[in-house]
Amino acid sequence: MRRLWLLFRSELVVWRRDPITALGGVLPPALILIAFSLLFGGRLSFKIAVVNQDEGPYGSILRETFDEVISPLNDVPYYAVFDLSERDAHIAYERGEMDGIWVIPPDFSERVVAQEDPHIEMWFNNYNDDRAKNHRIYASEIVWAFYERIGLEAPFGLAETYPREEMVDWVSVIAVGVALLSATLGSIFNMYALTYKEQVEGLILEFGLAPRSLLWVWMPKIILALLFGWGSGTIFLIVIRFWLGYWPGRLLPAALFLMGLVSLFWIGFAVVIGIRSRNYMAGALGVVLTAIIIYFIGGGMSLVRFRSEDVLKIAWLFPNTHAIDPLRDLVLFQTWPADWNPTILILSGFAFLSIIAGVSVSSRQLRRLD
Amino acid sequence: MMKRLLALLRNELVMTRTTLSIHLLGFFQPALMFSLMAFVLVMPTFELYVARSSLPLGESLVEAMVQVNSPIGDAYIEPLLVEWQQGDDIPGGQVVELAISDGMPTAVQHFDLIDSNIVKNYRNRLTSAGLILWEEELGRAAIQIEERPLLPVDVPYNVYFGMGMLPLAAWIGASFVAAFLSAQEFEFKTIQEYRLAPAHWGLVLGARLLRLSLTGLLSSMVLMITLYVFEQAWPSPLGLALGMLVLMGLIGACVGTSAALVLKQTLPSFVIALASAFFTWIMGGAFGLPAGFGGVYEAVSRWVPNSYAVRALFPLYYPIEPSHPNSYLILFVFATAAVIATILIYRKSVLSVEEVRQ
Repeated sequence: MRRLWLLFRSELVVWRRDPITALGGVLPPALILIAFSLLFGGRLSFKIAVVNQDEGPYGSILRETFDEVISPLNDVPYYAVFDLSERDAHIAYERGEMDGIWVIPPDFSERVVAQEDPHIEMWFNNYNDDRAKNHRIYASEIVWAFYERIGLEAPFGLAETYPREEMVDWVSVIAVGVALLSATLGSIFNMYALTYKEQVEGLILEFGLAPRSLLWVWMPKIILALLFGWGSGTIFLIVIRFWLGYWPGRLLPAALFLMGLVSLFWIGFAVVIGIRSRNYMAGALGVVLTAIIIYFIGGGMSLVRFRSEDVLKIAWLFPNTHAIDPLRDLVLFQTWPADWNPTILILSGFAFLSIIAGVSVSSRQLRRLD
Repeated sequence: MMKRLLALLRNELVMTRTTLSIHLLGFFQPALMFSLMAFVLVMPTFELYVARSSLPLGESLVEAMVQVNSPIGDAYIEPLLVEWQQGDDIPGGQVVELAISDGMPTAVQHFDLIDSNIVKNYRNRLTSAGLILWEEELGRAAIQIEERPLLPVDVPYNVYFGMGMLPLAAWIGASFVAAFLSAQEFEFKTIQEYRLAPAHWGLVLGARLLRLSLTGLLSSMVLMITLYVFEQAWPSPLGLALGMLVLMGLIGACVGTSAALVLKQTLPSFVIALASAFFTWIMGGAFGLPAGFGGVYEAVSRWVPNSYAVRALFPLYYPIEPSHPNSYLILFVFATAAVIATILIYRKSVLSVEEVRQ
């Protein structure tokens, strides 16, 4: 135990000399989170110009409807409307300052009253099919609300039930993904920080000649890297608590357990790649970039549980994809994940295999047995 | 002088062989990331679970759901009929139940623990299907929306996404290699050779930055070709796109080099290169034109070179409007500022008397 403590302390000294690498689990995820919160956390209304040429009342009613139909996404209207002349609207639209233009023609009210094909023009930029789709389905919300406002009776009603009083917003979903990314990067960067100096200064040979088991070398490094992974992830959980108001509470140990198992997988993976690749740094870069790709394709930005068939098969080969939704259950919904047992089994398998492979492959490499 | 610059450049290119794996990562990582994300990023078609119902509304609603689509693109709903009643697990995050409420048939959308963005998507799709039924009933009283899309077809999201990743590719290719090469000069003490070199430091640094810009360009060209293979999208004129990407590579090279000159260690320099690459990518219009998002995001994006690169690339990929000469100019200003900052840091970190003494 004393030996372990001594080695542990010497590793801590290495870490203290290189604090920026230790922040590798905090700095990139923090910037990614800031960028995503600015991107998706603000007012996501489509900017459109409404050109109301109608001479009757219905054009104005339609115009007012835009402000009243609220999107569940960030609780703002689907459209941020600017009342412009047709000429100004088209200039702004062509400059890319407007997403679209709705033109209400002069005879709109007349046709509504006469029930003779009232129509409106919807100009929109379809440079990507997602925004084009949103223009079309948002328009349905506006027209539905307009019919209701003018007293038409729908053939059936629409209603919704949600299992919580408040809806979880998208940025919170992304933030938990970033917390897991942070735990992942925290453990990877610190594992590399703890082995890089040995690689650069040739100390690796001394390890290879050590009379004791090489587990003594790896144990403190693995524990420290795990602690830093936890530390980085916890920083983000605290940020989520004070910024977004979500905290796992008594479920915190379960959340940390999930993050720890994911971290252990990446620690083992990092050791294998770092030791086996001919260029140590290339191995490190490769592992970090793989973790970031897995963040993006493995549910970092959206829930995967309900659309699992759309998740790439390769993403399921990494523990993050399995852990992310149970982690969201714990943090955002404060509920015990229904798939907790299978998730833990899968994550433990990943972690166990990765650590065993990491330690045995790297020990053989250090002993020059390969 | 030109001869010496070319010799330095040749030396830089020879050094590529010693760090081939780092270069390969820089060249192929963005293309790999795009290739994987292209399959999962945007799915216009949502599976909508509908509980089987004996009400006549059930059948007609499902038929209407099939009609919710882009007239020039994909279907937006794939309705799936299921046996479901209250108390059962909600399949797929949402199920539509048809019930009688206050004597009126009602489509009740039951959501599971999903976020507001997915709720919005489900809600909009059900309303669209419902509106089709309502308008059938209204006949000529229904409002016709005459669509005037800017382009003849809805362009797949991947085209924009891939285009938005080109500046990231240039940045990654240049900054990662820059961070690695420059930091190792300190770690292996080879920086001393630069200090003793008879060649002017400007030539040494210039050759390094030039070669790194070309590395960034190569990285983005790999992605450009990947985008073409996936979506048959190619910039026109190509020369303008390449020129702009060289500038992005230069900015990335300056960031990576400066980080390494200050930190003098590979891993921390890499952390800075990584963080800057992804932050500027997301803030610079990675997921849509910044003007479309507005607010603080748009304001901050004005200080990020990627957003000008995206603006400059946009008309090269979409036949919409002429190029923005301002974007090139602003990008050039960014690049110049980055080079000046790198020169100052280089002089302080490599050539100052204090550093030489250390």
